[in-house]
Amino acid sequence: MSKPVQQNSSGHSVSRRQAIKGIGAGLGCLAASSFGLNVQAGTTLGSLGDAPAPHFPPKAKRVIFLFMRGGPSQMDTFDYKPALNKSDGKEFDKKKKTKLFGSPWKFKQRQESGLWISELHPYLAQCADDLCLIRSMKTDSSAHPRAIPLLHTGSFAFVRPSIGSWIVYGLGSENRDLPGFITINPTRVFGGPANFGSAFLPSSYSGTRIGWEGESLKNAKFSNVSNKKVPRSLQQEQMKLLRSMNGQYITPEAQGVMDSFELGMRMQDVAPNVMDISQESKETLEQYGIGESTTDNFGRQCLLARRFVEAGVRFIELGHGSWDHHKDIKKGLPDKCRQTDKPMAGLLKDLKQRGLLEDTLVVWGGEFGRLPTLEFGSGRGHNADGFTFWMAGGGVKGGYSHGETDEFGRRSVIDPVHLYDLQATILHLLGLDHKKLVYRYGGRDFRLTDIHGEVVHKIVS
Amino acid sequence: MKYLPGVLSCPFLLAILFSSSFAVADDMTQREREFFEEKIRPVLVKHCYECHSVKSENMDSDYSLDTRMGIRSAGSSGEIAIVPGDPKNSPLLRALNYEDLEMPPDEKLPASVIADFEKWIKMGAPDPRDGDPFKMRKELEKKKSATLWSLNPPEFKGLPRVKNKKWSQHPVDRFVLAQMERHRLHPVGDASAEALLRRVYFDLIGLPPSPEQVEAFTKNPTSEAYTKVVDELLSSPHFGERWGRHWLDLARYAESSGMEFNFTYPHAWPYRDYVIAAFNKDKPYDRFLTEQLAGDLLEAKDQKEREENLLATGFLAIGPKRHNASGTEFKYDLADDQIKTVTKTFLGLTVACARCHDHKFDPIPTKDYYALGSIFQSTKTLYGTKTIKYSNHPSPLIPFGENAVELNKKYLAHLEKINKLNKEVKAADGLRLKLENMDEKKQDKKAIAEAKAKIEKLKKQIKELEKNAPKQPKYAMGVAEGKAIDLTVAVGGNPSTRGEKAPRGFLSAVPVKQTPTIASNSCGRLELAKWMTDPGNPLVSRVMVNRIWQHLFGIGIVPTPNNFGTIGKPPTHPELLDFLAITFMENKWSVKKMIRMLVLSRTYRLSTVDDEANRLIDPQNVYLWKATARRLEAEAIRDAILAVSGELDLTPAEGSTVTPIGQKLARDVPYEKLNPPSKKRSVYLPIVRNYEPHIFQEFDFASSSLVVGQRATTTTAKQALFFLNNDFILAQSEATAKLLMKQAPQDVDARIRLAYLRALSRQPSTDEIAHVKQYLEQAEKDLAKAEPDAAKRRLRALASFVQVIFSSAEFRYLIQPPQQKQTTILTRK
Repeated sequence: MSKPVQQNSSGHSVSRRQAIKGIGAGLGCLAASSFGLNVQAGTTLGSLGDAPAPHFPPKAKRVIFLFMRGGPSQMDTFDYKPALNKSDGKEFDKKKKTKLFGSPWKFKQRQESGLWISELHPYLAQCADDLCLIRSMKTDSSAHPRAIPLLHTGSFAFVRPSIGSWIVYGLGSENRDLPGFITINPTRVFGGPANFGSAFLPSSYSGTRIGWEGESLKNAKFSNVSNKKVPRSLQQEQMKLLRSMNGQYITPEAQGVMDSFELGMRMQDVAPNVMDISQESKETLEQYGIGESTTDNFGRQCLLARRFVEAGVRFIELGHGSWDHHKDIKKGLPDKCRQTDKPMAGLLKDLKQRGLLEDTLVVWGGEFGRLPTLEFGSGRGHNADGFTFWMAGGGVKGGYSHGETDEFGRRSVIDPVHLYDLQATILHLLGLDHKKLVYRYGGRDFRLTDIHGEVVHKIVS
Repeated sequence: MKYLPGVLSCPFLLAILFSSSFAVADDMTQREREFFEEKIRPVLVKHCYECHSVKSENMDSDYSLDTRMGIRSAGSSGEIAIVPGDPKNSPLLRALNYEDLEMPPDEKLPASVIADFEKWIKMGAPDPRDGDPFKMRKELEKKKSATLWSLNPPEFKGLPRVKNKKWSQHPVDRFVLAQMERHRLHPVGDASAEALLRRVYFDLIGLPPSPEQVEAFTKNPTSEAYTKVVDELLSSPHFGERWGRHWLDLARYAESSGMEFNFTYPHAWPYRDYVIAAFNKDKPYDRFLTEQLAGDLLEAKDQKEREENLLATGFLAIGPKRHNASGTEFKYDLADDQIKTVTKTFLGLTVACARCHDHKFDPIPTKDYYALGSIFQSTKTLYGTKTIKYSNHPSPLIPFGENAVELNKKYLAHLEKINKLNKEVKAADGLRLKLENMDEKKQDKKAIAEAKAKIEKLKKQIKELEKNAPKQPKYAMGVAEGKAIDLTVAVGGNPSTRGEKAPRGFLSAVPVKQTPTIASNSCGRLELAKWMTDPGNPLVSRVMVNRIWQHLFGIGIVPTPNNFGTIGKPPTHPELLDFLAITFMENKWSVKKMIRMLVLSRTYRLSTVDDEANRLIDPQNVYLWKATARRLEAEAIRDAILAVSGELDLTPAEGSTVTPIGQKLARDVPYEKLNPPSKKRSVYLPIVRNYEPHIFQEFDFASSSLVVGQRATTTTAKQALFFLNNDFILAQSEATAKLLMKQAPQDVDARIRLAYLRALSRQPSTDEIAHVKQYLEQAEKDLAKAEPDAAKRRLRALASFVQVIFSSAEFRYLIQPPQQKQTTILTRK
């Protein structure tokens, strides 16, 4: 087989690319879609025949989602409630015998925009003019096991694709060497992998996981990107042999396999490089808090997020927990803030400095917020009716605050933003119409927001 | 919050509830009638009917105004649109005035027209248009559903005529060729003997043929030899392992509950084994269906048959469940999973859409959904979880095997003993705490010591008991008859909003010869099975033969195997589908006979080679002018690799490695423990939802929480990385290399030939041998530094070559090797 056969057995001279184009599953599709994805199954065809593209010009090209699992307390961080502080200790609900619990932390207006941010986020406060606070969030459940899958997939009762999967399905990947959807240190609980799963979308749209929540990232790596048995030079020889074996076929299948190996070979080089932060400057590492024991791990998550952004990853989620401060909030909440504040501010500044913040949407939030009342004498309970998310970068107004909760922070009362609205808005910023991003499965078209969701146009810059 | 996300607000139902009061025809004066005909009706016809009539195709709301009853019903706001005599309180008028709703949406009507409407409503909205919009809509839907092809009974009108009489007279081929000829297509040549053999081996048993089998068949590729191979494969015990796995995709088989808390199910595996055995013994499909729906209700001739019947019902019990849910929610969700799985699997219909509202596309009202719900809620599902944190709905299991009942009794008594002792420990510990919490001065040291000693003693006893636990029987999941109940429609999917009664029953739109009656004290599952397997049921047989076809040809005659409804795709060969459906039933629902008929057809034996003229007309190969190059599934890839290396352990697994884990949150069990190393066939690997074996996840394994009729085929860089670097691939490549060295210690050419034969089921060409030899030389040079030992170096080089074969498209796809000649074997009649 020294001369690889380039004709098919019937001997007619159709070019390989023509043959492939005729069936519509060639390299163009492969490169443009998620992670070298090439779908051929009958039910999934059609929607993927063409390279995915946004429905209208996008404001953002990618997303970093900072998921604060457990439900961060809004009235202690971003939702300033002077009336609550004044009423500290007063009865709130007679029947439930709950008392109001003023925030133990001081708020200040920050930067030119004058956004109110508490002393728990001293670093992030320096980025206030880039933040778009949504202080009127609502969701459908105040139970973690429901609210977490809801936030990620739009459903808890059914197995549905994760928002990251939807986005990569809608937009494809920006790069050819890395997955389109990466999740770093996701939670194992409350659905666990289902929160980055692709459900009925092809499995290539599921998130690629690095680590689990709470794990150290010092030695984290992608799986299957190296081995000890086959040296790189021999691997090149293997590729040559593989090329000539596959080259006998003028079929899209063989071409697809070969293309996937070319991509895989590149990813082997790219992935460890992206994970290797040793070339980052001392200033950069310091900016993210890497090397300081409190901030080291989340700092690494944030720095990796930036590196993935640079490498063209479409959706990156960073997990951090637990913010479930039923008790001892005075100790627990500052701990969590300290672990994340500096790294997040470092990330925003770094992205901005590199000109990446304009088209990267950073989203921060938990599955719900917390109550203005005291629980167990020292903490706060769950609140699905009012909480805060913030966004920054990619097409949102900076130094802007949207919506309000009532005087105590119990319920969203002005411009409420439901979870589905948030999801619709994230898709909108990416140039996707949440009503058009559909996938036909088992007899009907599904979408992330089901039948809900209104884009919050007011926050779009 | 709402009970279910995705619940549509349902103005339609409001319309039903309210409209009845307007059913009586109003007396109208001549003047009133004239006013209506002149001023009102023309406006309605011109501006409103397009979206708001019973006949309207693109109705956005369920509000229709082409009858008196309709126009006076509730609009999308839920308010009654017209209050006769009171224009101010009539939302219709507000909408015309663009006050809240804006109707008609394109342009506001002229003020004079709106004034006419105001006047008309003030008059009492006299309206001569009789008719009940709800009934009219139903009738229309019924008419429409009659045109849903899949609900018409299958018909055989004789074999079609074909021009090319020489190609094949096999009935399947006649249908296929007729379609080809209709589209000016012609069949390509037949597959080579090697390609055909490889294809039929993977299709029937999911394993490659051995080198000896390849050699025997290629020497003598006659029709008789091929038929013999087919018959051997059909009677192989590996047939059930292959086809059973296809079924497990539909049955959403898994060994954990999935959803947000994911409890392992230690006793799901007996259902897996039941399915494998059922395919192996060619259990008639109607019986197979019946056992899975109602095995517990069937008469059995002996204990063995009784057990088999019981294990079959695992089908209903293994679905994903939210064990943390509240009682009502849990019950409804459980029934929903059962309805969804049963209807998609057996009927190819998406009945679960009707949980919250009438099906949008198919003639399935909510009432039918809840009629099935009544059947399943009259059933006890035995999934066998205990009450522990996040698991609120305990349930027993089905003990089986030798002396099961007795063993179970003893075991339960043993548990009870431990339970009792544990209670005593708790009591003693309470006492100890109480004593210890007293003032130090008052403390009774002696009593404390006694309490502690007692606790110690009890704990020892418990340990001793646990050590000498009596032998447990085997357990299985399944169902048993519960108290027969009839639900009411849960309006909008919310059980606390009760609609009409929905007594245990079946789908009203599916015609059968004889609808069974459900006795008042019967749950109705056996009757459901009877209704499904009624020879008049137009779906069950069609759906199954289509699945069989799909597994052999790559795509179903109906390309949407789980959806034979309006929104599914119509059959590409409708007469063929009907012919197969009828043949299937006539052959007493024998799956093996059906498969045999299909793989003996010439269509099945076609080559995968391209044909330009055909491709220009039919690039997707819809009309089967060639064989589709299909990729092996995750299981077949893994099994084939192990078969090539000689390490495959072909003995069936006994039970599952999930069983000793017990009921645990899957997240608390390390991946390595959930998926211990195994050389068994893939069908026996544990399937813990969200934690399936890595190789499965890479190669498009069916989502184990969903009813999967058709897997995706993706080609990704991650798969390439798997072949390049994964430990399993490296180890198996090495094992294969060792085997090759052992079988051909002296001769490189022989090793290469053997590798091709084992992995690709064919001989390499002389060019290929030369090329590989070149590669091996280069590889040994490359490894010179890394591996100083010459023998080891040779082995590593050989292993790296095997790895390339595993990585190749030819290994992964059932595809015709290009240099091979087609082999025409005589077609049987």
